[in-house]
Amino acid sequence: MRVWLPALLILLLLPLFLPRYPVEVLTQGFILALFASAFNLVFFQLGLLSFGHAAFFGTGAYTTALLVTKAGWPYLLTLPAAVLVAALFALVIGFFSVRTSRIYFTMLTLAFAQLLWAIVHKWYAFTGGDNGIPGIPVGSFATSAAGLYYLALALLAAGLYFLYRLDRSPLGYALRAVRDNEARAEAIGLSPFALRLLGFVISGALAGVAGFLQVAWQRSAFPDFLYWTKSAEAIIAAILGGSEHLLGPALGALAFVELGAFVQARTEYWPLVLGLVLLFLVLFFPRGLAGLLGRRDARG
Amino acid sequence: MLEVREVTKTFGGFLALNRVSLRVKEGSFHALVGPNGAGKTTLFNVIVGRYRPDGGEVRLRGQKIHHLPTPKIVRLGVGVSFQRAQAFLSMTARENLMLALLGLKGGVHRARPLAAFEAEAARAEELLGWVGLESVADRPAAELPLGDLKRLDIAMSLAGDPELLLLDEPLAGLSRAERRQMVAFIEGLLRRLGLTLLFTEHDTDAVLRLADRITVLHQGEVLAEGEPEEIKRDPRVIEAFLGGGHAQG
Repeated sequence: MRVWLPALLILLLLPLFLPRYPVEVLTQGFILALFASAFNLVFFQLGLLSFGHAAFFGTGAYTTALLVTKAGWPYLLTLPAAVLVAALFALVIGFFSVRTSRIYFTMLTLAFAQLLWAIVHKWYAFTGGDNGIPGIPVGSFATSAAGLYYLALALLAAGLYFLYRLDRSPLGYALRAVRDNEARAEAIGLSPFALRLLGFVISGALAGVAGFLQVAWQRSAFPDFLYWTKSAEAIIAAILGGSEHLLGPALGALAFVELGAFVQARTEYWPLVLGLVLLFLVLFFPRGLAGLLGRRDARG
Repeated sequence: MLEVREVTKTFGGFLALNRVSLRVKEGSFHALVGPNGAGKTTLFNVIVGRYRPDGGEVRLRGQKIHHLPTPKIVRLGVGVSFQRAQAFLSMTARENLMLALLGLKGGVHRARPLAAFEAEAARAEELLGWVGLESVADRPAAELPLGDLKRLDIAMSLAGDPELLLLDEPLAGLSRAERRQMVAFIEGLLRRLGLTLLFTEHDTDAVLRLADRITVLHQGEVLAEGEPEEIKRDPRVIEAFLGGGHAQG
């Protein structure tokens, strides 16, 4: 808490002093922070590397985009639907994926996400195909840079608080128990499959919230939201920030977006810079940026 | 209490258990011995629901349990401790026990922080006292020596107030001195609690001291069964393993 509250206060005041562009970049950082934190629930708490979380980010985004453009729903009211649809996709994909472990889990999640991307990419009549869904009316509040900033910050704060509570609850411990020792977990009455699936669905639902926000940030939805590179962004953010700390992926996401904006304004070699930064961090700060906070795990 | 009837288990073409039967009487300490590969751990895993038998049945107080998964079996009053000391290494000893208490009650889906479960905290304290781990209660399990981990493992298996306790090689990996302590600890604690015990073990002295009854497995079959003195004198057992008059595992 001693880290959270001052950080939140500063973030609340920033739009009052900053021009539009940095506010928009920070908003993009919050969206990726929420996505990466959702991903990290599966990565750290369950010990499973999902390479398909873009599926839930994308289905959340497309649910919002389709409900606004085809059914005329107000943007903000699509949030529960985006969460629900992302959770349903996570339930189906998780049902098949969490039975497997390690590389098989990673490959299955990647395969499911790529399958969904291919469908969205080609289904012109429904999703707009590779043109996506442009010009989505998201309402005046979400159109203003400050409005969307506060909306994204509020949802990120709520998501992180939820993950913080989950982390300390018996369910959080049970998820880590399954990760630590499956046989022992079963011998104290826990069902590894049910717990992994539950963790995966919660994570997918939170990723759907990030997708919902992305629609307002771009006022569009594109198939790339479901592409593997979007999943990779969450992985990079978690590694940059440190997956062992609750705030790690969020810090990593903010650093990733801010650094990306800074470097891309000066050179076209952003991927090269990112590669060097990742190399440096993995070699010299394997616990990521959050490791500098000096606490070993999320419960500190 | 526990009855294993004609249980057969194969892995591919390998016959790991061939029509194995045994009865564990209520309140008894029953040992399962045999050399490596005799089928002890396979039988243990069949009883706790980790392996489904190809034939035969397992009954607990008359109820068939061989089709049930481990989480359901342990909630029927069976405590389980596996061969290697197993705890959740990212948690403290106290957290391990509190999670075990909640898990065995089906109570892990509640929203309060784990630390706020006062009844479970009090019970965890009691269990820590039983196994002598109060002083290391808040240390991560990853930092505990093997002897303490074994005690923690046994405490976790007692968390559901079981009537039957299954211990797979509780002395494995311990030094001679630690073994003596562990045998005294198991005997003192479990007799006091009035539990029924089924255990596998290689340590002959420990088996002879703890067990009321011994089943000897050899190449997946029951070679002999009886009281320790009978087993020590059984010519089939002597011929198969002992050479010196001890029921060596």
